[in-house]
Amino acid sequence: MNGKPLIDWAWVGGHLDDIAMRTVQHLQIALIAIVVGFVISFVLSLWAVRYRRAFAPITGVAGVLYTIPSLALFAALVPITRLSLLTAEIPLVLYSLLILIRNIVAGFDAVPSDVVEAADGMGFSRTGRLWRIELPLAIPLIVAGLRLASVSTIGLVTIAALLGDKFGGLGVFITDGLQTFFPTKVYVGAVLSVGLALVVDLTFVLLQRRLTPWSRAQDAPTGREQHGPSGLAGA
Amino acid sequence: MPDSQLMPDSQPVPDSQPTVPDRRAATVEFEHVTKVYGAESTSNPGAVNDLSLRVPAGKICVLVGPSGCGKTTSLKLVNRLVEPSAGRILIDDVDIATSDPTQLRRGIGYVIQSTGLFPHQTVGLNVAVVPRLLGWSAARQRERADELLALVGLDPVRYRDRYPSQLSGGERQRVGVARALAADPPLMLMDEPFGAVDPIVRERLQNEFLRLQEELAKTILFVTHDIDEAIKLGDLVAIMATGGQLAQFGPPADILANPASAFVARFVGADRGLKRLSLVRVRDLPLVDAVMARPGDPVAEQRSRARGESSGYLLLVDDDRRPIGWVDLRDGDPRAAGGATLTIEMAHPMSPLLEPEMTAKDALSQLLDADVQMGIVVDRNGRVSGLITVDTIAGLTRADTGDGPSR
Amino acid sequence: MELLRATAGWLLDPGHWVGPDGIPTRLEQHVVICVVSLLVAAAIALPIGTFIGHTGRGAFAAVNLANIGRAVPSYAVMVMVLPPALSLSPKYGLDVIPIFTAMTLLAIPPILVNTFAGLRQVDPDLVEAGRGMGMRERQLLLRLELPLALPVVLGGVRTAAVQVVATATLGAELGGGGLGRYIVDGIARQEDDRLLAGVFLVAVLALATEAAFALAARVLTSAGVRRTARVELDAAH
Repeated sequence: MNGKPLIDWAWVGGHLDDIAMRTVQHLQIALIAIVVGFVISFVLSLWAVRYRRAFAPITGVAGVLYTIPSLALFAALVPITRLSLLTAEIPLVLYSLLILIRNIVAGFDAVPSDVVEAADGMGFSRTGRLWRIELPLAIPLIVAGLRLASVSTIGLVTIAALLGDKFGGLGVFITDGLQTFFPTKVYVGAVLSVGLALVVDLTFVLLQRRLTPWSRAQDAPTGREQHGPSGLAGA
Repeated sequence: MPDSQLMPDSQPVPDSQPTVPDRRAATVEFEHVTKVYGAESTSNPGAVNDLSLRVPAGKICVLVGPSGCGKTTSLKLVNRLVEPSAGRILIDDVDIATSDPTQLRRGIGYVIQSTGLFPHQTVGLNVAVVPRLLGWSAARQRERADELLALVGLDPVRYRDRYPSQLSGGERQRVGVARALAADPPLMLMDEPFGAVDPIVRERLQNEFLRLQEELAKTILFVTHDIDEAIKLGDLVAIMATGGQLAQFGPPADILANPASAFVARFVGADRGLKRLSLVRVRDLPLVDAVMARPGDPVAEQRSRARGESSGYLLLVDDDRRPIGWVDLRDGDPRAAGGATLTIEMAHPMSPLLEPEMTAKDALSQLLDADVQMGIVVDRNGRVSGLITVDTIAGLTRADTGDGPSR
Repeated sequence: MELLRATAGWLLDPGHWVGPDGIPTRLEQHVVICVVSLLVAAAIALPIGTFIGHTGRGAFAAVNLANIGRAVPSYAVMVMVLPPALSLSPKYGLDVIPIFTAMTLLAIPPILVNTFAGLRQVDPDLVEAGRGMGMRERQLLLRLELPLALPVVLGGVRTAAVQVVATATLGAELGGGGLGRYIVDGIARQEDDRLLAGVFLVAVLALATEAAFALAARVLTSAGVRRTARVELDAAH
């Protein structure tokens, strides 16, 4: 590996098709997992918000799932689901649950109780209050969770490549690069994977601005995003 | 609920090694102090514009004004949490800019509205924060904390090991005051210390604060947005206008009598005549002599006396001159009909009993509540000292408000 | 079911509890990687997080850098570190330095961001009250801000620790030790009982880590702060 230039641009130029295909595949796998994970998490969170006793068991199970090494979970599914898209998606979805549920529930909890009371006082139905009052106000924390979950999901897709090149997205370049001692592939895979995460992260930021125009005025100048991490860290 | 508890009458436990320095109160002087905030400042605290005032030792000076008038900024200039853009501040004639800010602050008590109690420390440790900073021994810190808790009406045994989250709002404010007093500072800065509690608790805390101040005689700079609180607590009141201008500075009575500007008149309110009543005590008012009679006195004789009275009423009192009630000896009162001598049964229910310490405002309000023209003023032993009429009190509100805003 | 029984049998086999590939040895290797990289990460992230949390300076840059850090796949870090590591030390370049670097980088963002966030969430009124009473900056930090930020800071370390414990299995991909060995070998040899035993051991270690930190947070957090937290939680319902 030594002695060669760090990045072989000629290879890059010659494999643009391949790179584009892997990038799209990477994004696809990640987005499917995020959408499915979000739908499941949202339903479970609504349940946990309504029946508080469900919160601890739900996050407990999600927490245990979160501790299973990704490599092992991918590998453990192979005997069951074979090398299908499910083998890649199931672990990704399971890992997203903990982050998403904690943030969605925290988002609903953060809705000021006087606002909820005012809504009740004006005669909102329970469902109406949820969709028209609580959900919009919970959006900042929910989006913070989505940002964290998508960044980590995009990173995890690269691990799927260790199972074979079928569903590894950009991770395939990393494993190939290692096996063939060709650093260019490793860098292409890693850099594009990080780039993809940044683009998706930024998209969510812009999405949140569109969805919550009222909170822009009070955005902290530091742009800190402490909700995500403390949501993760919360007991 | 210690909120209902009165302040202990006794002095704090005397300390064999006096923690109390000789100087008990300091003078504070603002000399042309200006604080300008740049455009980049986000929180937009109030600016201060050429503020000059002098607070004599042992006095309470209340800074009052609408929000953004720079009253809190003025307070923070004194303990150098904010540095002035121009001018200087003297404590006991020493420019505070020459002293180390940390040392300066350790010698000044500081109470804020949110109390600033440290949530991770017990009440005892919270009170002893400054003694600990000053390096007192642990035993002396504990002793001092207990002493101060007792001083503000909290039983040390019950309260010293609690956490702030286990206290009511009023209790927290008391701990906040105790903490500010810990090193016996000659100067206290209090920023809306009673702003976060309900009106009933606030009034009780204010009264205790005044009683405590009689004992301690600190110099106190006190910030509030509540003009009634300012009038009640201040020996001196500084009214500040938006933009950090000092609109008027003086004893509350002067301000109420002669507002220096239309702004001040508006700020103290159209009811400033009424407000002045809280500055006057019943003992300061001229009393009317009561025509008194005792049970057993002959009716006929008393009737002629009563006829000489404009009211036609006699005040029936017992042998110790304690009031029993009013007797109406004019013709036609069925209670007084028949009977040759005065009896207790003839007495009508009494007017409110007023004490000399009561403010004229409270006295008036009691008379109006009872729907009577006259109140009976009694001394500490309950003996009648005289009568006071609604007209006398009402006259105070008119006394010298006729001249209105003088400039 | 069959597989579970096989996995239990594998775990209970006394032969798997001795020797250089025995469970105690692999566990020890795993713990060493995790503890050392966590300590190094904490040594880097705690001071930086404390500095930006206390002063508010550089917060934007640090938090965004930490977020980008989260996006970097650990596996890619290992592979990218490999060439320079090999030339630096042929002995440790393959199976020690890459996993150690990757795990340290993995642990930094949560610790850094939570330390910063923990300090930022301390009520500014409290800090001003402390300053107004004459506490020096160091005293404010050590006696007020850090104790109050501690639950959040520990939460960050806990997140980092659990992630590191689970992810350190990747070290085995480059021939390193630790519990990941069973997983990688299980895949390679198609021995599902070995693979699942490895998964089980890592999960147990991760849960034990989580529990240990929860306990530490409880012991180290002042009762006054704990109480507040509980009150707020109750009030939210």
